Formats: sequence, C-alpha cells, structure tokens
Amino acid sequence: MGLHNRVAIVTGATRGIGRAAAVKLATLGAAVIATGRDETAGRETQAQIAATGGRGQFVPHDVAREEDWTRVTDAAFMHFGGVDIVVNNAGVFFVKPLADTSVADWDLAYRVNVEGVWLGVKHGLAAIAKTGRGGAIVNVSSLMGQVGYPNAIAYCATKGAITGMTKAAAMEGGAMRPPVRVNSLHPGVIWTEMITGQFGDSQELADAFAADTPLRMVGLPEHMADAIAYLASDESSYVTGAELTVDGGRGAD
Amino acid sequence: MELQGRAALVTGASRGIGRACAEALARAGCAVALTARDAATGEAAAAAIRDASGSAIFLQQDVADAAAWPGIVAEAERRLGGLDTFVANAGVSFAKNATDMTLDAFRSLCAVNLGGVFFGLQHMVAAMRRKGRGGSAILMSSIMGKIAAPGYTHYCAAKEGVRLMAKAAALELGPENIRVNSVHPGLISTDMTAIFPKDALAPMIPLGRFGEPQEIADAVVFLASDRSKFMTGAELVVDGAMSVR
Repeated sequence: MGLHNRVAIVTGATRGIGRAAAVKLATLGAAVIATGRDETAGRETQAQIAATGGRGQFVPHDVAREEDWTRVTDAAFMHFGGVDIVVNNAGVFFVKPLADTSVADWDLAYRVNVEGVWLGVKHGLAAIAKTGRGGAIVNVSSLMGQVGYPNAIAYCATKGAITGMTKAAAMEGGAMRPPVRVNSLHPGVIWTEMITGQFGDSQELADAFAADTPLRMVGLPEHMADAIAYLASDESSYVTGAELTVDGGRGAD
Repeated sequence: MELQGRAALVTGASRGIGRACAEALARAGCAVALTARDAATGEAAAAAIRDASGSAIFLQQDVADAAAWPGIVAEAERRLGGLDTFVANAGVSFAKNATDMTLDAFRSLCAVNLGGVFFGLQHMVAAMRRKGRGGSAILMSSIMGKIAAPGYTHYCAAKEGVRLMAKAAALELGPENIRVNSVHPGLISTDMTAIFPKDALAPMIPLGRFGEPQEIADAVVFLASDRSKFMTGAELVVDGAMSVR
C-alpha cells in the first residue's frame, strides 16, 4: 500500500484522526500537507512526520474560507509539485437539543462540516486534475451521517450532507481522465478530543462506550488512519462513491 | 375527514409538489398555512383551496431567512389556532459541477434546501409543543438524498442532510409523539423538472413515466395522518422504482 510519489492534503491534521492520518500517509511514503487552524499543534504534527522519516509541511488553514483553500493547494504545488490525495477531515461536533441550537451553532456546523468539505471537493478535484495523475478524495463523515442520534439533529444533517455530496462528487471525479475516486469514511466513537470535549474525558465513559460497541472497545485515531490510507491508496482503485463505516460494529447494533 | 382539527404549515406551497400537498391536506380537513416567496401565486393557491371549501391562508416567506421563522410560525398559529403538522417542501435545484460552481451558489441552495428545513423544523416543533398533542413533520428530501447524479454535489449534500436530519429528529422527538419522516420523490412533473427531457428519462423509470405532484401529496397526507402513527425516522420513496436499479 505504498504512497510513494503521492502528495496528500489532510485537513484538521492538528489533532485526533487528522493528525493520525497525516502521520500514517507520510509513513507510507506520501508527502503530506497537514493543515489546521492551530499553528502550534500543526507544527507538532509536522515534527511527528519528520520523526518517522516522512515528508510533511504544516499550512495554516480554515477549511470554511475559500481563499485558504487556494493557499493550501498552492503550497502543495510549491512544496511537493502537485496534489494526488485530499483527506477532508476537519469538522466540528456538538450535541445539543433542537430547541437550544442557536443560529450561530447551526452556522458553525454547516460552514465547517458542509462548506468546508465541499470546498475540499471543489479545490481538491481541480488540483488533482491539474496535477494530472488521477487520485483520491476521502471525506470524513460520521456514523451519524448514516444513522440518527438524539440531540444531534444539526450534526447529523451536516454529516449526512457529506455522505450525499461524496456520491455526486464520485460521479464528477469518475468522469475525469485520469479519474479521481471520492469516498466517505464513517467513524463511530473514536477516542479523541472531539469526543472527550463533548462528553468528558474519563475511563468510566470510555468503558461505557466500549460496552455499548460490539467489538467492546472505543475506536482510536490509528484505526481511522488505516481506513483513510486504504481509501487513499491503489488498494481501493475500484472503490468510489462508497461509504466505509469503521465503528467497531455500532452501526450494525 | 381524517385530518379534521389539524393545522399544517407547508413551505414552497405556491406551485408543484408543495401546492399539491397543501390542497390534499385541505381536502382531508386540515387547515393549511401555505408559504412561498412569490405572493401572487401563493395567494392564488390559498384562494383556490378556499374556493373548494378548504381552510387556507398564505404567508409570504423565504425559508432561508432564519430570523423570520418565529414570526411566520406565530402568525400561522394565531390564525389557525395552533399547528401540529409541518411539510418542509420548499427547495431549489440546478445542475453544476463542483469545480465550476461558486461558493455563493452552493450556499444559496443549501440555505433553502438544508438550513431552511432545519430552522423550520426547530420553530415548528416549538409550535407543536405549544399545542401539546404531538405532531408530524414531513421533510421533503429526494431520491438524490439516497443516490447521486453528476453535477449535483450541492443538491445531494442538502437532500441527504435532510434525510439524516429526519432520523436524528425522530430519535429526539419520539418521546413527545412528534413523528419526523422524510419523503424521497423521484422525477415528478413540475416546473422544477421541466428542464429535463421527459421522453429520454421516462424509460429509465421502471413505471415508465414521471410522477405527478398528487402522488407525492398522497404520501404526505398518509404521513400526516394517524394511519402512519407508528412511522417515524422512516424514508418514504415515491419514485416509480427509479432509485432501485
């Protein structure tokens, strides 16, 4: 599953799933543009890539700002000569009853999770086409982009939007020559700051999520990184428009 | 009449599927608040219902305007005596590849087709709680909320977002007996699909034809009625089997 001579952009690579994916892709030989809003954390991701002997460059990036996307794809061409892989991972998560969800809450989830990923599709397809080698886009949705969850109407709506746009983007990318594959990843409960920030960071809680999961464990960022690497690599060369659920079996329950 | 005593708000009710839904709900005895951006066609649709002995009012509304939702719902409640049924039907559509589309164009579609449904659901659920008898929210998705077509990243995003919104809402609101389902029309003969070549597309539909707005309205009346009282979080696909292939 080598990714040698490939260039990958990973958004939200400052922590959690994004950082693990950036390090994994670099370990497999890809040159990685790791992006995010937190400069300090982004430099740490870059250092972790360097420590494994990989090639990585942090670029500051707010996925909801289109001008930032131009800067990020330009950086990929400048540092590594093109773009083959885009991992649209950056996202925001909150659990809130419908009645308590403010217009600002909705706007934040919509702008980052929906527009941020769509901009990644738009600029990713264009940058991969310009590079001319074909490629792959991985959109990180959620199990909550496949099934509902109480008190998460806004989040489920935005993650469902990623599921849907991925399929249409797969048709657009499939018609390109060489083609660009576009798939969505659907993590279950992955033990990251996104989860602990919302529900609390305790062993009791992790155990409770694990007990509620058929594989009897919470997911780790490394599990997601493996799935992202699969969808980014030629091992998935006939996979497009697909939903890959990596959730320890929660969705089947 | 099975919807006697009920009151519904239907968005995008000035034409097409929305108008057919408003008419069908009214025929079943439901009082209906029709909303749409175009006042002339909206008023005419409401007047036609009244001429047929139905109960209907028209309120001008852009569903994408989140700040206007509380006032619209409050006026409909005041004039109809509370609300218990919501048909989130308003939607727009156009085809464009993502690589050729501006963010503004993407945003304007999502503001209607996704944001408009979310804010409508939020304020209509508040109205249903005030009436206190449960309720039914029917969210108009599309077969493109389940499958895709090239040139529709924006539309598929919004419509699949609505599909999941209905499921999450069904889980959250089930304990209050507020049911939330999504409807997934295929190709229906309306102004929205007038740009499509009917003769070329009809053979791709196993039933061999486009659907009629009334056929979606029939599904909506069913989901509004007690005949579907154990259905929530469900997807009702009305597409002549187009999405089954």
